[in-house]
Amino acid sequence: MKTPSGIVWLASFPKSGSTWFRIFLANLRAGENAPADINNLDERSGIASDRNVFEAATMLDSSLLTYDEIDNLRPRVYAAIAAEEVGQRWIKVHDAYTLTPNGEAMFGSCAARAAVYLVRDPRDVAVSLAYHNNTTINDTIKGMNSPDNAVCQGRKGMVLQLRQKLLNWSGHVTSWLDQTDVPVHTLRYEDLLTDPLAYFSAALGFAETTATPAEIERAMRNAEFTKLQRQEIDKGFAERMSRTAPFFRSGRAGGWRDKLTTEQISCIEERHGPIMQRLGYELSTTPRSATANDRRAAL
Amino acid sequence: MHSYLISGLHVSSELELPGATPEDAHVRPVDVSIRRSAVPMTLDGATASGPTWEMVGEMFLLRVPALARFGITAGCDIAVEIEPGATERDAASFVHGPAFGILLHQRGVLVLHGAAVAKDGRAIAICGPSGGGKSTLAAALCGNGCSFVTDDICVVGLDEHGQPIVLPDGKQLKLWKESIDQLNLADRQGEAVRKTVEKYYIDPFDARGQPSPLSAIYVLREARPPLKTGIGALALPDAMRMLDYEGYRPGLRAKIGQKPKRLAHTAAMLGHAKVFRLVRLRGFEHLQETVAALRAHWDSLDR
Repeated sequence: MKTPSGIVWLASFPKSGSTWFRIFLANLRAGENAPADINNLDERSGIASDRNVFEAATMLDSSLLTYDEIDNLRPRVYAAIAAEEVGQRWIKVHDAYTLTPNGEAMFGSCAARAAVYLVRDPRDVAVSLAYHNNTTINDTIKGMNSPDNAVCQGRKGMVLQLRQKLLNWSGHVTSWLDQTDVPVHTLRYEDLLTDPLAYFSAALGFAETTATPAEIERAMRNAEFTKLQRQEIDKGFAERMSRTAPFFRSGRAGGWRDKLTTEQISCIEERHGPIMQRLGYELSTTPRSATANDRRAAL
Repeated sequence: MHSYLISGLHVSSELELPGATPEDAHVRPVDVSIRRSAVPMTLDGATASGPTWEMVGEMFLLRVPALARFGITAGCDIAVEIEPGATERDAASFVHGPAFGILLHQRGVLVLHGAAVAKDGRAIAICGPSGGGKSTLAAALCGNGCSFVTDDICVVGLDEHGQPIVLPDGKQLKLWKESIDQLNLADRQGEAVRKTVEKYYIDPFDARGQPSPLSAIYVLREARPPLKTGIGALALPDAMRMLDYEGYRPGLRAKIGQKPKRLAHTAAMLGHAKVFRLVRLRGFEHLQETVAALRAHWDSLDR
């Protein structure tokens, strides 16, 4: 069986395990016995919001364009990348699955043949993201609860990535899982931790990525969290944002129990309870969100 | 009709180019004409295309949706058709950037994606990715005794002795509002490049930029593992590879061709100007450290 060509989105809210998955893929691709260097991964996929990829495809100076003008062009950029692709290409995406101002799907089937959506308990995301961005947990939760949540959208300067609309955490999840254009496979970070072989294999199977069980197992061993931590301690990690916290900090599930206050837990669960329950994340408080209105608000 | 000197070329334009310094008209033969005229939506028989562009032979079509279409031909002509509802000013901001960059590739000249500044009559180029801080570093150097030469599109020509010279793009430096505030340049802040974008032209630091012999090229990188802060020379093969990558729109350059000419040109340039990787911490709080390190390194080269 041959792996079909085309783009597979590796979509997730930030700090939900996509870097781990990318490192697993890079190890799978490298096919080496030793772990791949986390600062020199054998991958060419990058992130969908890379400004330089956009400029290379459009020949336009992105700093002359508004965010909305850029968004209108992005589906065509991805379609062009897909048209030139002869193999399979996993591309990481943190954007929510949204429509452009012109009404086109930003990450639609004209570019991608499948998507793997990685999701993590939002209570753990809040802790991890606060460490990552060096911000307070309260501010992080505020962002995760805001429907206008976006990254790289400062109007007064420019960064290496394009603006990415994340929506609130529930909105991000449903934008990807409830769209019907691109076939999507849901992968919970916690399941990957519990049984990486089974869940990595299932995701690859969905994407029709050809790999033997032995190859998957080897890549998985090379991407073990403790080995990534070891590499970061020894050599650092280029993708680390915080100057104080390591990128591969805890990686475990349920760490929020020791880190979040009761108010913070309530704040997340009240806002995202319905979607958390849909994904099998048990609530620790009794949310008020039993009414249809609250469920709507959570979306 | 407006006249400009852009990257060593005498340009006659029906559109006023914002941020460009006019030159005396009718002095020399015109190298490039920019005019308002009908531009097709597509090109028949296109041999290469992308989401916003098509090319066939010496004709290149660039589309900025809802704004303008540009027909760029044979390195000497840019036709501009402005879309209904868009302004001439909006269209003009794309002429002096992307459209002119494509035209320069058609002419087969060596174009780096970077800014350049000069001191004591010698220039350095600062290359790096979009959003990587090239213009901000150039502005900081201009506040530190250097003169501004070019921004974003850095054409390197060869003089009659085969020495590489940087040709000014003839327009003002552009900076984002955040950089203007951090560098205390509010008194120099000119018009916005577009009404909808918070990037502004900066009034000139000194007289019009002069063509200046190129001393060195610094490729800007952020200090992230495995790269550590510092300035290091690149060996020739790495320098060639790096320059290939740091060229202006390298993918386009490959499609337009002119590879033998460009390689010969690059080799000639590297005979006189070394390439260094400048690894620095990102953030305005580190900018002056970077300026000091770069100035010290540059001084040591020119000694």
